[in-house]
Amino acid sequence: MKPNSLNRRQFARHAVAATAISSLATTSLLATEATSAEATASAHRGNAEHVISIWLGGGMGQIDTFDPKRRGDPKAKKAGSYYDAIDTVVDGVQVCEHLPRLAEVMDRVTAVRTVNHDVIDEHAAATNRMHTGRAVNGTVSYPSLGSVIANQLGAVNENAPPYVLIGYPNVTRGPGFLGAANSYLYLTDTSQGPAGLSRPDGISLNRQRRREQFLQVTRAAAEQQQDGDAVLAQYDATINQMLSWSGPEFGRVFQLDVEPASLRDEYGGELGQRCLLARRLVQRGVRFIEVSHNLNFINGTGWDVHNDGIVNQHELIRELDIAMSVLIRDLEQQSLLDKTLIVVTTEFGRPPQFDGGGGRGHQGSAFSCVLAGGGLRHVGAYGETDELSQKVVADAVSVPDFFATIHASLGIDPNKYLYDGDRPVPITDGGQPISKLFA
Amino acid sequence: MCQTFCRVTLAIAGLIANSFVVQAAESSGKPIAQWNFGTEEFSALKSHGGVHRDLAGPRPPHFPDFDEHNTAVLFDGDGSYFSIADPGADSKFDFQNGDSITIEAWVDLHSIGSGQNAYVVCKGRTGNKKFSADNQNWAMRIREQGGNAHISFLFATAPGTSNESPWHRWTSKDGFKLQSGWHRIAVSYTFGDPESVRGWIDDRPQTGSWDMGGKTSEPPIVDDDAVWIGSSLGGSAGNSFRGMIDSVAIYRESLSDEQMAARYRLEGQTPPSDLPKPTLPTFALTGNAVAMTIREGLATHNRWPLATEMPPPVSVQFADLHWTSPYFFLPRMPHRFDDWGVRDSWKPPALVHLAADVEFPAGTLRLLVRNRGLGRLWIDDAVVLETPPHQGSTDGHNPVDPLPEQPLPGHRVVAYGDTETIGEVSFKTGGTHRVVLETIIGGDKFRVESGETLVAFWTDNDDSIELLQAAGSTMLKRRLVDSDIDSVSREAKRSLTLFDDAVRRQIASKHDDYWNERHEYARDVVQPQSGSSIDKFVADRLATVVNQPEAKAASDDDGFQREVLPILREHCWRCHDEDAEGGLQLTSLELASIGGDSGEPAIVPNSPETSHLVERIFATDTDERMPPSGKMTAEQAKRLVDWIKAGAEWTNRIDPERLVVAPIIDDTAFLRRLSLDTVGVPPSERELREFLASDNVNKRSEAIDRLLSDERYADHWVSFWQDALAENPNVLKPSLNNTGPFRWYLHDALRDNWAVDRMVTELLMFRGSERLGGAAGFAMAADNDAPLASRSLVAASSLLGINLQCARCHDSPYHSTKQEDLFSLAAMLSRGNVTVPPTSTVSPGFFESKGGRESLIKVTLLPGEPVQPQWPFADTTGIADGELVERWLRDSADSRERLACLVTSPHNQRFAAVIVNHFWKRLIGAGIVEPAADWEAATPSDAKLLEWLSAQFIENGYDAKHLLRLVFNSDLYQREAVGRNRDAPPDERFFASPDRRRLTAEQVVDSLYYASGREIEVEQLTFDPEARRPASTMISLGYPSRAWEFSTLSNERDRPSLALPRAQAVTDVLEAFGWTGSRQSPIIDREQAPGVLQSGMLANGVMSSWITRASIDSELADLAVNAASAGELLDSVYLRFLSRYPTTAEKNVFLKEIDSGFADRLLPSEQIVWPEPQMPLGHVSWSNHLKPEANVIQVQNQERARAGDPPDPRLRPTWREAYEDVVWAVVNSPEFVFVP
Repeated sequence: MKPNSLNRRQFARHAVAATAISSLATTSLLATEATSAEATASAHRGNAEHVISIWLGGGMGQIDTFDPKRRGDPKAKKAGSYYDAIDTVVDGVQVCEHLPRLAEVMDRVTAVRTVNHDVIDEHAAATNRMHTGRAVNGTVSYPSLGSVIANQLGAVNENAPPYVLIGYPNVTRGPGFLGAANSYLYLTDTSQGPAGLSRPDGISLNRQRRREQFLQVTRAAAEQQQDGDAVLAQYDATINQMLSWSGPEFGRVFQLDVEPASLRDEYGGELGQRCLLARRLVQRGVRFIEVSHNLNFINGTGWDVHNDGIVNQHELIRELDIAMSVLIRDLEQQSLLDKTLIVVTTEFGRPPQFDGGGGRGHQGSAFSCVLAGGGLRHVGAYGETDELSQKVVADAVSVPDFFATIHASLGIDPNKYLYDGDRPVPITDGGQPISKLFA
Repeated sequence: MCQTFCRVTLAIAGLIANSFVVQAAESSGKPIAQWNFGTEEFSALKSHGGVHRDLAGPRPPHFPDFDEHNTAVLFDGDGSYFSIADPGADSKFDFQNGDSITIEAWVDLHSIGSGQNAYVVCKGRTGNKKFSADNQNWAMRIREQGGNAHISFLFATAPGTSNESPWHRWTSKDGFKLQSGWHRIAVSYTFGDPESVRGWIDDRPQTGSWDMGGKTSEPPIVDDDAVWIGSSLGGSAGNSFRGMIDSVAIYRESLSDEQMAARYRLEGQTPPSDLPKPTLPTFALTGNAVAMTIREGLATHNRWPLATEMPPPVSVQFADLHWTSPYFFLPRMPHRFDDWGVRDSWKPPALVHLAADVEFPAGTLRLLVRNRGLGRLWIDDAVVLETPPHQGSTDGHNPVDPLPEQPLPGHRVVAYGDTETIGEVSFKTGGTHRVVLETIIGGDKFRVESGETLVAFWTDNDDSIELLQAAGSTMLKRRLVDSDIDSVSREAKRSLTLFDDAVRRQIASKHDDYWNERHEYARDVVQPQSGSSIDKFVADRLATVVNQPEAKAASDDDGFQREVLPILREHCWRCHDEDAEGGLQLTSLELASIGGDSGEPAIVPNSPETSHLVERIFATDTDERMPPSGKMTAEQAKRLVDWIKAGAEWTNRIDPERLVVAPIIDDTAFLRRLSLDTVGVPPSERELREFLASDNVNKRSEAIDRLLSDERYADHWVSFWQDALAENPNVLKPSLNNTGPFRWYLHDALRDNWAVDRMVTELLMFRGSERLGGAAGFAMAADNDAPLASRSLVAASSLLGINLQCARCHDSPYHSTKQEDLFSLAAMLSRGNVTVPPTSTVSPGFFESKGGRESLIKVTLLPGEPVQPQWPFADTTGIADGELVERWLRDSADSRERLACLVTSPHNQRFAAVIVNHFWKRLIGAGIVEPAADWEAATPSDAKLLEWLSAQFIENGYDAKHLLRLVFNSDLYQREAVGRNRDAPPDERFFASPDRRRLTAEQVVDSLYYASGREIEVEQLTFDPEARRPASTMISLGYPSRAWEFSTLSNERDRPSLALPRAQAVTDVLEAFGWTGSRQSPIIDREQAPGVLQSGMLANGVMSSWITRASIDSELADLAVNAASAGELLDSVYLRFLSRYPTTAEKNVFLKEIDSGFADRLLPSEQIVWPEPQMPLGHVSWSNHLKPEANVIQVQNQERARAGDPPDPRLRPTWREAYEDVVWAVVNSPEFVFVP
């Protein structure tokens, strides 16, 4: 190892530690310490209200999607894209041939092609990096992006939860030190409401009504038994909210069949249905929705296209193309696109080279995450990678920068602090929003 | 090789061993030395260790070049070898650059360990201290790769000749199989020319590669060290040859392929090794049971150990204890314990024998064996059935196998990951035969999990399969059907648990003397205090408040506190507190005198007539009368009037609610509270009815004793320790801050009621298994570059109340702790200096950017600076390192033991107090010291009480149950939970009454299961049920039977195939109620805030739908079917779930519902339609989770989980649904989730 590189790395680590701890000063001290960076950031403040975050579990290969390069050949082990590239409505911006519908709306989209990090050995660790926006730390459990936003902005409508996850519950989606109140409600398929807040299978509306009548009896008895007990009363109050959220009125949000059949068809498969549900949740007043694209049925490996997992990768790409393009158009039609930031993230990217089985390994040095809508000034693509999308050539965007961009688009100060007990924790790890996207 | 030739060379060999004869350099094809191990061998071979001569070597007809009586030598392989002394300088065995060597030998390899290098013949590297260590002139070895024996040539270059590795190893690409009989092997090499290397197996030339150190043209090291045959390195077992060797020859030339081919002749096939006949261990059989022995640490899992390799059974473990079973059935391995009795793990692979004498009739018998790995079934001295080794890849791309077939219709299919093998045996006559199942469990890459190991047989008429049973066993015959096997399995597991208990306790008891002595010493240190009680401390404290001069009332201050205040609280303060309804506050005399919006004083001392309050209480107009509920009794009203008449003395300014000494709770509430606090679930219906019926005056204290000795005590209290000690295992490969599953150790310790100081000592000493449940799991913090600092932080906070969180990276800004303190502890645990990793600091640049303002944080320890093991908390804890602990150290050089001793010493003023405070907080609802894990700035609310409790704890040998018993028997514990201590400042935390507590998440789940009479039935908590991965990457947390056994299911992969939908349904409830399966840091205060998901999970969650349904085989269904009346049924439901009888109001509604149609609730039997059992789905695990089909299956499983079990078809659906809805309403009552 060369001494120079060691020093640089150490320096970087120190910088991370420093920002993680940063000032232990009080808020007022912080105010006096406002830096010019903060002043700049405040100029980059958007007005978006919602986030629909599409998570492509497994690691979407940027070179096969949003950052196409010259064709490669898995059989000949020639590095390069798996597919041809096509032009988009934005001059000079190309995407892969399986993204034709998105190509038509790329003026509402920015593929950020220069996101990068160093956690590529392990999916869980990379998933954590891409949900918390920072390196793990032995003494702080960091909150997910969704939880931070739920914490900062709450639900748009007080009769809606702030944060809904359409996918499997996982720690990285959770609230970390922000506590359970900033966690998500989750559902694993669109035919059901969230776990705990949708009428159980086989319970008819009539039975539900009877149950609620019966419940009034036991609640009254409880109140009588523990007369005046404040703790019990607080718990009792949650029952009202629960009954409301699991009731028919709120439950309607999850009934996709009330949407026109043509629109449902347009949205396509399960990912599309999830996006449609996300739009309905946005309308209901949910602040942050994560849509997980965990559809391993198609190729077994999902986006983690090692070996022969890559053979049907194009089907995943097409599904994304359909779902996301329809979501953009649908939101636009509902006049929600400017208020709703669509984010596409993934663990990491994939290298241009092929593995022994013709698939691809993991790459963290450069990969694409995508932004759409949200009132940003979109440019089709941002940042430049080398001829095989392996290295950043211009406009690197760190994971914290990417997170800061999201915060800023929602009007959240990307330099502010959260508190884990006494400990101040910067909301991003020193991230700066991408200036170019703010008008 | 003709006989004559052999004899000749033998003679030469004998000579040249003593005198050096220069050989011709031209290709003579003749060796310069050869050893044939004939019966009359007289060469200067000196044998060492287990070397057996005169055994049959390669012979005709297969090997026609050998004498028909040719003999060879057998090496036991445990360091046995022949040595031939080197003649010194100019030895013919010395090879320099330019010299060519050919080494040839005949071998019959019996065994070799995985990756092992077994020496056939070599010069140097004998371990003789007279020579340098790495002095290998040349060597021919066998190297194990992928289960085959490869030939390998090795030499070392002289030190100093090159910077690179002195070792140079060439290994053949192909190899031969073990135990495949005689092979001729040879290598040839010209030193200085790396391309010259060649090798042969039998008559075939081999390709190969320089795989270690690479090629070199450097000369080999040459000295006067000896030539060895069969081993090296001083006779290291790991480098020894196991098997037969013959005709070893050394040539000082390179032989050609033709020459080598001419020296090998084979007629027909090579016969396999003539191995010594396997022998079975002897068993002390009792005659009517199956006995078990276990051996561990075999060389490999894929072949049988030779007699010489057979480890002894782990008898030390079991002392005189033996596990026996009526059947050939093993549902799991017994646990391994270390010599402190701490959970350890079996060293893989393990060899298990199940043996019994079995009675067989004459005739042919069909037998079936299910097991995990290599196995053989012996009947008497013959192997009648063999099973293959454990195998299989786990890369996720395996196919979803077709479901196994039932061996007979209706019979149980083989469990996932187990194999099934069927064979037949014939008996000429009936009688008793010795049956032994021998099976290897686990391996280098496999965990030691037995699966469902069993032997069964087809009964006479072949229509049924039964478990094989020991002769004379009087147990039931058990068929290989689910219902029978499930109950056999339950019984066997229960019996294994008792066996484990007995073994563990027996081993641990060897240390009792030490601990008894320590506890005796501790008693002297604290000096027993007697004559006090919790209630006395509480009363004394309350008395100081009510006796304050300015607060003291003229006449009956006590009356105000005890009688008046509760009335005000109960009837007035719900509105007239800070809420000031109508502008009126009645929380002080001053405010009451001012009055509300009406302007009239509510209370005028000595003048009830003019007191507006009195007027309103006695108002006849119900719109006017207070309280609006109308619930104030006449006596209460009179008490208020009397108090005002007497001067309305308001005796203090303290929030009176904090002083309310609530009444003692009734028997139902008491038993429910006590039961939840001891065993984690409510009392059973029967327990409750008996308790209520009893008129024994001591029944409460007897119930306390009974429940404290209930074995479910461990199931309840383990959760506290899991949280406090940040137990954080993961069924996936460990990631950030994952620990081992030391839950199993904790559970054992609680089961045995270890003294708390002993338990903490074992944890801090990292005893037992790290990854499989021992105390050593506490040492782990995966992915953390200072794991012991991380664990020190946990220990300091939960055991000593010292907060070191900030000290990981810098000195604490709000505490006196320094970074060095934390790392000193870490050094003590690590038994040596540690350094701060660069990630655990703050860069100097951070301070520079502060522009001169002094930062709140300081870094006084630089990364890389060594920190010594040193006790940093002498001042905080009152104990300095030194003689106070010295006498208790079993190894005074061990800083880890020193730390454990300093922490748990009776001189440590923190340890006992901190533990006592944790327990108090858990039972009373608030700590005497808050925050309980950070005492630096905290004041005990009652220092004397804390001191007394700590002394009680220490005096009684740090016995947690003694402490609990003290609390449970106090009036305080038994009062109504109206206390307001939790949010009070220390000086207002009077503990007049206990605080209201919500059930913990585990109590919610366990209570639901227990009250409904269900058992937790979820998937095995693992992604690798086949145990195909080592514990370092995947573990199984088993099938949980209580809530504490769950763990996070989070795998961050978003793959439906990795979902565990049934377990998820339970963890959803646990998480909603504040449990977390990922405990990154110690948790003392769980989140208590009510949330919509709590009531949501109980109302709509999947688990709740299972619980509240009268489904097939459920107790709720049986209750309904068997109830004599609707009233009795309703009582049962209430007693089970809420530990009380229904109120009149509840009866009014619910009795009506279930009474109508009650008589008619059962369907006539001809109308009952039992649902078809569900078709089993394919098995999914990590091994095949990347297959699309695996995802489809798990989604189906998710749907099945959501659907739950079908309803009991005996009950008429309309009536059943009404009944279920009543149960649902009871479960969803807020009352259910609170401790009464």
